Amino acid sequence: MSAAAAAVTPTVRRGKGAQVRIQRFGAFLTGMIMPNLPAFLAWGLITSFFIAAGWTPNGIIGGFANADASSWQGAATALAKAADGTTFHQYLGLVGPMVTYLLPLLIANAGGRIVYGARGAVVASIATVGVIVGSTVPMFLGAMIVGPLAAWIMKQVDRIWADKIRPGFEMLVDMFSAGIVGATLSIGAFFGIAPIVTHVSSWLGTIVNWLANHQLMPIMSIIVEPAKVLFLNNAIGNGVLVPLGAQQVTQQGKSLLFLVEANPGPGFGILLAYTLLGVGVARSSAPGAIIIQFFGGIHEVYFPFVLMKPTLIVAAILGGATGVATNVVFGSGLRGPAAPGSIIAVLAATPRGSFVGVILSVVLSATVSFLVAAVILRASRARDLAAGESGDLSAAIAQTEANKGKASDSLAHLAAVNDLAGARGAQATMVATKPIHSIVFACDGGMGSSAMGASILRDKLKKAGLPDVKVEFKAVAQLQDGADIAISQRELTDRARHQAPSSRHVSVDNFLSSPVYDDVVAEAKAAAGSPS
Amino acid sequence: MTEVLTRDLVVAPGSARTKDEAIREAGALLVDCGAVTPAYVDAMAEREHLVSTYMGSYLAIPHGTDESKGHIRRSALCLIRYDAPIEWGIGQPVRVVVGIAGVGEEHLSILSKVALVFSNPDEVQRVLDAAGPGELYDLIQQVNAA
Repeated sequence: MSAAAAAVTPTVRRGKGAQVRIQRFGAFLTGMIMPNLPAFLAWGLITSFFIAAGWTPNGIIGGFANADASSWQGAATALAKAADGTTFHQYLGLVGPMVTYLLPLLIANAGGRIVYGARGAVVASIATVGVIVGSTVPMFLGAMIVGPLAAWIMKQVDRIWADKIRPGFEMLVDMFSAGIVGATLSIGAFFGIAPIVTHVSSWLGTIVNWLANHQLMPIMSIIVEPAKVLFLNNAIGNGVLVPLGAQQVTQQGKSLLFLVEANPGPGFGILLAYTLLGVGVARSSAPGAIIIQFFGGIHEVYFPFVLMKPTLIVAAILGGATGVATNVVFGSGLRGPAAPGSIIAVLAATPRGSFVGVILSVVLSATVSFLVAAVILRASRARDLAAGESGDLSAAIAQTEANKGKASDSLAHLAAVNDLAGARGAQATMVATKPIHSIVFACDGGMGSSAMGASILRDKLKKAGLPDVKVEFKAVAQLQDGADIAISQRELTDRARHQAPSSRHVSVDNFLSSPVYDDVVAEAKAAAGSPS
Repeated sequence: MTEVLTRDLVVAPGSARTKDEAIREAGALLVDCGAVTPAYVDAMAEREHLVSTYMGSYLAIPHGTDESKGHIRRSALCLIRYDAPIEWGIGQPVRVVVGIAGVGEEHLSILSKVALVFSNPDEVQRVLDAAGPGELYDLIQQVNAA
């Protein structure tokens, strides 16, 4: 409980800037990963069913069958080498292209969109193709860096000639500048960023190799778990642990190295914690993800859950280390690699005599990661609830500030706020005592809805005797920071927050008749009348 | 300066039956009066897929995106009332469609009149009950905009 209280109570002033920055960064990661959760699940489902080791293997969809020997013609293929050294046309299938291209591009797109709207999303995607094809390592880390960075660069470039373009040429300049910047960045990412990520990946492998050779097994989890959630699991699993494990099997008949990365326990614990203590979409999709992860062995489906709340990596590391330590104590291991890492494949690869250790390693690692994840989720739950399903925390931060020194009340208060928000379509409560000087409406185009909302509120303020409150409207992409309150349609509030982080944000479902207007008017009136 | 909302840009009843038809119908009025190029109508339809312009109170206000402002020659509004509600989204009946082509600020005073009318349930009822285009036009114009 003290952890929860600490998270809600504002810390001392000097720690606050950092705290807010960390929370913003967390919100940013969530915004980048969360909208793409369905794609992760889709890929997880296809993979767990159709790969060679899946439930219903299918060489065409799974991408392992010889197309020359199949009657299904016309699908995309690539040359592959058979065991006897000859080459044949192998189906590309859905599994490889989705994880190589689709998922990183979607992440880059969402990240770019947060930074700079639709334009940022497009440039981010273009640049990320460079980092994907510039390496053979899966480019999740690359996409998470290159996507937002590319969008940010586009934003800076646009600033150079903002307002300097002859009327009528804006579209032309916009299209070509984004095309040129995108093309340049994709080449830059290809040669500049992709090799770095490749190096990081092989460097991590070297460390794991060293740890394995020095009997420091449980410490490996510190490297393996973070690498996993960045999709470097196969690079480390198949590239380092499996060859080392195979070596040990020839000597001892089993190896625990096969279980370091393939143990489904840590991911299961995290997903279980989300199922019980998560909020919104993350909570409701966690149970399905458990089936794909634990029984299907496609660990990747839990990665986004960690990526959007990076502190959960602690749960994965401690869970993983517990599993490894258990196997060390019991001297247990697997006969061969468990691929995919489902509980079924793990048990199938367990030699007689190792069952107790292996099963305990899964159970204990799941328990530890569940408990740690539960504490972490519990601590931030009130904030996440207040921020709504988007997981954006700025609203919650404002709330925290408003509740200074009333930590004991704040949890209950936040829950009440959430009920209110759900019922009325407002995300923030009206508790501020700060005078309100300016309100800005944001909509997509900046010529219709926001203008109408602004007229209505202006009218209401005038009738309430507050003609001095400035009410403006803007396209969300042009929104500037600084207004006291920013009002936007629910689906645009996240973008509005990123454009204007210091404003208090209020969502409306209906610009014409929102109860929010009366709240704002009442608040402005109260604030104007109060001495502070 | 030309009026932004002229009498011939108020139509009742409109002929569209679906959301897409209604956007096209409003767009066609704006094209016919020379306010926008046909490309703007495509932008209106496209934007509607991104973010709905359903406003509540039986009103929708289709318009282009920020990027499509290049296709606007001058600001204009059109207003179409339908006898049968058009399903704009699930549970979003629309009787009045206001097509907007806005550059600069000329369209804002009339738009704010529309907003004030539609934020008042009694006024909305009067708009729905108005006898024809002429009466509709007068209803909107007589509002004392803020």
